[in-house]
Amino acid sequence: MSYQVLARKWRPQFFEDLVGQEHVSQTLKNAITADRVHHAFLFTGARGVGKTSAARIFAKALNCQTGPTTQPCGVCPSCVEITNSQGSDVLEIDGASNTGVDDIRELRESIRYLPSQSRYKIYIIDEVHMLSINAFNALLKTLEEPPEHAKFIFATTEPHKIPITILSRCQRFDFKKIGLAPLQIRLRHIVDKENIKVEDSGLTIIARSGGGSMRDALSTLDQVIAFCGDQIDDEELQSLLGLVSRSLLLETVRSILERDPGRSLALVQKVDEHGHSFRQFCQQLVELVRSLVILKVVAQPGELIDVGEAELEEINTLAGPASLEDLQRLLAILIRTEADLAISNYPRLTMEMVLVKLAGMPAGVEVATLIKRLEALEAQLASGIPAPKGPAVEKTPAPQAVAAPQPEEPAVKQSAPLQAVDTGEKNWAGLVEFVKNRHKPRISSLLEQSSLLLLELPCLRIGMPGRYFSLADSDMRQAIQSLAVEYFATEVKLEVEKIGNGDKVPLSLHEERTQQESDRQKKLRENAVEHPLVKSALDIFGGKIESVKPIDKGFV
Amino acid sequence: MTFDTLIGHRQQKNILHRALSSQHLAHAYLFEGPDGVGKKMMALAFVRARLCENGTGCETCPACLKVNNDNHPDIHFLTADGAAIKIEQIRALQQELSLRPLEGNGKFCLIDGAEHLTNGAANALLKTLEEPQPGTMIILLTSQPETLLPTIRSRCQRLPFMRLPKQQLANLLVQKLDLGDTEATVLAALSEGSFKKALGPNRELFLEKRHKLIQTLSALSAGSTIPTFTFADELETEKETLFDILDIFQSFYRDLLLLKHNRPLEELVNQDLLEILQHQKHSTTTASLLTKLKALESARFHLQRNVNRRLALEVMLMRITAA
Repeated sequence: MSYQVLARKWRPQFFEDLVGQEHVSQTLKNAITADRVHHAFLFTGARGVGKTSAARIFAKALNCQTGPTTQPCGVCPSCVEITNSQGSDVLEIDGASNTGVDDIRELRESIRYLPSQSRYKIYIIDEVHMLSINAFNALLKTLEEPPEHAKFIFATTEPHKIPITILSRCQRFDFKKIGLAPLQIRLRHIVDKENIKVEDSGLTIIARSGGGSMRDALSTLDQVIAFCGDQIDDEELQSLLGLVSRSLLLETVRSILERDPGRSLALVQKVDEHGHSFRQFCQQLVELVRSLVILKVVAQPGELIDVGEAELEEINTLAGPASLEDLQRLLAILIRTEADLAISNYPRLTMEMVLVKLAGMPAGVEVATLIKRLEALEAQLASGIPAPKGPAVEKTPAPQAVAAPQPEEPAVKQSAPLQAVDTGEKNWAGLVEFVKNRHKPRISSLLEQSSLLLLELPCLRIGMPGRYFSLADSDMRQAIQSLAVEYFATEVKLEVEKIGNGDKVPLSLHEERTQQESDRQKKLRENAVEHPLVKSALDIFGGKIESVKPIDKGFV
Repeated sequence: MTFDTLIGHRQQKNILHRALSSQHLAHAYLFEGPDGVGKKMMALAFVRARLCENGTGCETCPACLKVNNDNHPDIHFLTADGAAIKIEQIRALQQELSLRPLEGNGKFCLIDGAEHLTNGAANALLKTLEEPQPGTMIILLTSQPETLLPTIRSRCQRLPFMRLPKQQLANLLVQKLDLGDTEATVLAALSEGSFKKALGPNRELFLEKRHKLIQTLSALSAGSTIPTFTFADELETEKETLFDILDIFQSFYRDLLLLKHNRPLEELVNQDLLEILQHQKHSTTTASLLTKLKALESARFHLQRNVNRRLALEVMLMRITAA
């Protein structure tokens, strides 16, 4: 096969070709010129940034027949051998296939022998993170003090998997992701040499799709050339890479911010019709919302977001009315969705659900703001000012938040007359409670059994059933009166009457309570009997209800 | 089957055609797209065109016939051995690929279900994938490209496959299976543009049992505890088709969601159940629909991870009825 993919054809052969890794090539070159070359190197970095290439170039530079040089000639037998990766003194080992300790033992055997024709024996172990732990350990001694003629170069994308003892024996070089600009310059160089016509904007798209990796960008370029031939058209490029058009993205975000779920769904349909991948769609949405957030935070975003003038204008108007909190929440949810989409087996539905949810969400309020409001409210309550009932509640965002406390309310209301909450108004129940709190059990229980006949201060007339009447002797009356005076804070004239069995008088507190209790029992029973579960249990077993016992006193 | 007889994927065919005619062939391709849309067929057609003695994939020359009968010595076909593609398989493959081709003009390797590569196997493949012997071509097929190592993805020329358009699949079903228009549309929509699903054994489930399932599901309410548990019991016995049933439920609630937002009827999946849908539309809210869909999603997630099936289904139904 005569054709080689671009990534292989244009593999850098000199330090100068190594794009975006100037910090590495400069250090290596200086080491060679100063004749201070370490014996073990570790090259790490993301995929396709030039680790393996750098290892090969370095090997060439060390073994070139013109002497250790920063400019390997590329024509001497040693250089040619390395370029074709068949050198006898430069061994390129696939660390992921030869993972075992035996492979390392073999290596240790062969390392003792002098190189056959070159200056150094160089071991390049690629994907070194896959070596087994034993293999790493077997390597330790050799790595620390190898023979003079041996050099090691390790290359990996996952340095965190390498034991610390190995790391400490190597000079480590971290390869950076390649920036958009240098990537584009290199791409331009390659397409010019390959006689392919591409607009700058097209190259930008390709470079961006690489995500900082030269090989990814070149693979994409290959793919594009395979589809378009020598003449690459921007529109074809977009459709080939499955990029969603900007207008569709902007429209989607707009529909969310304008809270129009119907339109969001229509847009999902459109995206589907165009055959886009929803993951890609979501990724691009994230990018767009990110630029919205940045626009909100930074006045002059400059390089932070790379969009054209016209688009910036459009994004700006989009960001205008939205609040930062909303946008951040949008971003957070979209990022999570992107991860979800990767494992979703029905991405379209996942996308639809998220868009409907986002478009249906009420405006967000930051937690800090809520806490501040809560604190203000607490302060007001503490200082005795009655809490403003209406506005504070209305401002809370989610309607559920308002609805939440409601279920408890009936319970409170019901027990209110019994507990005689101090509402500020002095009444009979309040008096009884007051007496109870004063630890006068005899008096309070007597009062509980009594009925209030008249309360028109200073006149207080109470009726006692016959059997209790005798208890109310003069001492007792005195005590009741003084307590009442204390409670009502005014002069009280106490009158006690005896009531017979037939007399019509208001219910005493005790009676009131008993009646309520039995009401509750009755209601409980009714509820229980009507419950579908109970009904079907009765049906199945053909039983009848013996008794109903409440297990929770909080609810009826 | 040659390129021309393959259904759909016009763009992908074009790309491969051009690569063949201009000899700009990459050594590694990654065909990514949903299951059952014809990735493997496309890959075989591509390889056949390379190996064919007439250079066209004529299907009459010995080489083509060997490819069709799956016994060409230069094609290596790798699939999951058990649950995964193991490192031993990759090592054996590397051994094979280091040899010269026996008959053809190169060696070809198809890795079907590349997402099943174990971590070790994927890493072991990296060097081979980057710089194989001249004349070697490796084609990886996967439905989940995002689960592959980024280092694998970056070494391949990617070729994304789309789902087949609903209408195209429906038309095909009408022709091949002699179905009615509505049935074909429903089946096409439920199989998500996948031939495998549409022509698979689930036709009866999708077309006939669906009515009953959806009716039972929509009849459940928060109070109907016993029917809910009975239904969970029923579902648990559906070992093979459980996920397809979940698909059906999902499609039903999705239809409701679309209806709620006034989407056109053509977008719905269960077009023959409009009556139930219209009826349910008024009694549900968007929020409850989203909760139900979430419940289905999480049940699916858990069921794929070996939980107590019965329990998972019960929880799912309870969450659906409560929402």
